[in-house]
Amino acid sequence: MNKKVLGKVRQFFFPPLTKGFFIRIFFIAITAYLFFSYICLPLQIKGNSMEPTYSSRGINFCWRLRYLFSKPKRHDVVVVRFAGSKVMLLKRVVGLEGERIEFRDGKLFVNGSPLEEPYVRRPCNWNLSPRKVDNHCVYVVGDNRNMSIENHYFGQTSMERIMGGPLW
Amino acid sequence: MVKMKYLIIALLIVLVGISATFLFFPSEEKKVKKRFALLSEHVSKGSEENAFMMANKIKGISDLFGESCNFAVSDYSLSGTYTREEISGIALRGRAHFSTLSLKFYDSEVSFPEKDLAQVNLTARLTGKSVYGEQVDETRELICLLKKGEKKWLFSSLEVVEVLRR
Repeated sequence: MNKKVLGKVRQFFFPPLTKGFFIRIFFIAITAYLFFSYICLPLQIKGNSMEPTYSSRGINFCWRLRYLFSKPKRHDVVVVRFAGSKVMLLKRVVGLEGERIEFRDGKLFVNGSPLEEPYVRRPCNWNLSPRKVDNHCVYVVGDNRNMSIENHYFGQTSMERIMGGPLW
Repeated sequence: MVKMKYLIIALLIVLVGISATFLFFPSEEKKVKKRFALLSEHVSKGSEENAFMMANKIKGISDLFGESCNFAVSDYSLSGTYTREEISGIALRGRAHFSTLSLKFYDSEVSFPEKDLAQVNLTARLTGKSVYGEQVDETRELICLLKKGEKKWLFSSLEVVEVLRR
């Protein structure tokens, strides 16, 4: 490597502490703070209710602009605000407002018709009597149904609690 | 120079006065938040807790509530109106299930919809270890109402927000 390249590398990693440098750092810090506080929230996944799609201890981001101009669709994975501004749930939308949701021997029925769910890979034996999804609500369930129905946190939630969707 | 000296002294006196006002005459919001800090302190349990400490904490919990308090905690089948004595009994039985327990509150938002009535929306996190060795880590959003009585803010309603309804 010649001296010119080395100089450029050094300048990139150890730039001179000029006024311009500090102004750039300030704006980058402000932008990063706003971006990661309000637009793209970092998440750490705890629990196995979305396995195998999302594993416990995984890292993801909540993209808050996902539903800015549209409503959640069936099969979308959404981030639901659970408590305060920091505790959220990662769930899959299976029912939309006005629809009738039911589980029969582990199979999910929407308005009386079975729903194809390729993301559910583990056996399930849940039974749940039919119930209608209220207006401005969606019905969300985790992908891991290989647990007792009592231990799985699911149900209908208000659209206002949908924070966005996971980035990947 | 002399004028400057007096100015600094005057500024210091004003600063001390403002600090003292905040310290000795806390706002209603601070008084309400203090009740949650006390509830957290009394509910929490260390492994070295003896019978005397336990009795003190149970007394402390019951003192935070009004003559009656309405509970809506469906996860633990705790729904309805309970008297102070009943709340003491519930706290005693509930704490007995745990060898260690910690209750912490976050993101509290206090509003005063009426005179002598405070509404607090906040996040509660309960962590601990049961006497059978199971780890407990539960987080819920709460809506609490406190009424001012006997010159103190007393809990009159405690509701767990139902985020997902089956």
